[in-house]
Amino acid sequence: MTTQTLPHKRQVLRYRVGPRIIHAMLASSFVLLLVTGLMLVWGPLAPYAAGGGSRLIHRIGAVVFMLIPVAYLLFDRPGARELLWDSFHYDRDDWKWLKQVYRYFLGHAAEMPPQGRLNAGQKLHHAGVVIFSALIVASGLLLWVGKGSFTPNGLALAAMLHDVSMLVLTVLLVGHLYFTFVYNALQGMVKGYIPEREARLEHSKWVDSLPEKEPWIVEEVVESPESAVLSPEF
Amino acid sequence: MTTYAFLLDIGRCIGCQACVAACKTGNEVPEGRQYIRIVEQTRGTFPNLRGSFQNLRCYHCADAACVTVCPTGALYKEEGLTRLDREKCSGCTYCVDACPYDVPVLADDGRSSKCDGCAAVVKAGGTPWCVKTCPSHALLYDERPKILAEAHRRAAALKMRYPNAQVYGETEAGGLGVVLVLPDDPMALGLPANPNVPLSLTAWQKALQPASLGLTGLSIAFTGLAAVIARRNHLQEVRTLEARNSTGQPTPEAQETKDQ
Repeated sequence: MTTQTLPHKRQVLRYRVGPRIIHAMLASSFVLLLVTGLMLVWGPLAPYAAGGGSRLIHRIGAVVFMLIPVAYLLFDRPGARELLWDSFHYDRDDWKWLKQVYRYFLGHAAEMPPQGRLNAGQKLHHAGVVIFSALIVASGLLLWVGKGSFTPNGLALAAMLHDVSMLVLTVLLVGHLYFTFVYNALQGMVKGYIPEREARLEHSKWVDSLPEKEPWIVEEVVESPESAVLSPEF
Repeated sequence: MTTYAFLLDIGRCIGCQACVAACKTGNEVPEGRQYIRIVEQTRGTFPNLRGSFQNLRCYHCADAACVTVCPTGALYKEEGLTRLDREKCSGCTYCVDACPYDVPVLADDGRSSKCDGCAAVVKAGGTPWCVKTCPSHALLYDERPKILAEAHRRAAALKMRYPNAQVYGETEAGGLGVVLVLPDDPMALGLPANPNVPLSLTAWQKALQPASLGLTGLSIAFTGLAAVIARRNHLQEVRTLEARNSTGQPTPEAQETKDQ
């Protein structure tokens, strides 16, 4: 594999440092919570949970997870507002996009309706994450704080709400990883910048709305082995 | 399938603690725990006092709340009794919260602990330790119909001296695996009159775990397969676009931008 200089040097700022840190917080705490949570309820892993070590880790993970709104307030207040607004507002192009979502699912981004900063699928994904995170935090706090003072039905209800929320979030995560792989989207979340041609392909309305100056669009030459793999002709 | 049950005749219990000791040594009960506790009870006001010995132990409910809430399957029903496979226990303490008799307790090793009806002893053809050692025939172990018949016979005999004498556990919580002969009202003896746990969510709970594992597994398998196809499609698409770019043809996006 050779590292080649791409003809399209322009890079677009996709995620600033704040959102990247928050994303890392969310990703790490979620994986921690998923594993330690599974240990508590799934037979084959259960023996490793006895003793309480994993439950302590689960609570540490829960605190990190619950600090995410706080982190948004501290480091990325406009980003939080934008994310919430975007996730629950769908324009005509979004509905058109959703009608053809199977094409995007199969790797065809080119002739989809033009999209803003988030495509309609990402909006739905984020809306789901927001709603079910709220539910999982609420039921988790009930299980944490209210434990011992529950009726058996109350306990079963809280545990079930917690489990169902985690099921939805885990399936959302599978989809998230899927699209990250298909559209080679990890670099944006790691480095912050993505090649302009990729941004235009999937989020043309957003790129058009960006000011043509740094730091939003930079004219830097990026030696990117990933992109070389992505388009081997160059 | 034959279901078995214990008979516990409170009218005959002399509070000697022999069952407690036999259970603890015979079952190698975890340190600091005991599966039977005997509490002396005095009822009434002086000089009209009555005494008896309350046996606090697992009553092996047919509709066992602990089994329903147990997420790992460590607690399960077998031959009418509630067993506990401690190897499978994650120590979540749901059973501790759910039990109407406050029976399961977390032992020092972080796992739940409770009477399992001497599963190992009974399977080897023996009699549970508590029954074997009881000197006053307050405890019996047999097939449940026989135990019920004996319980009613004893309650009827007790009624002559104790008019409130009754059988407890024939239907409570779906029918207990420990049928009690009581000389008085259950409430007076510190037993819940109605221990039924209204677990309306039972069916849901039972379906949830297999459904969750199934759905997650399915989504991983489905996207795993689709990923190969979709990734290839996308690479192909990018190649086509780049080829069109290099020959000077406008891309659909560029066209759109121009149009606006």
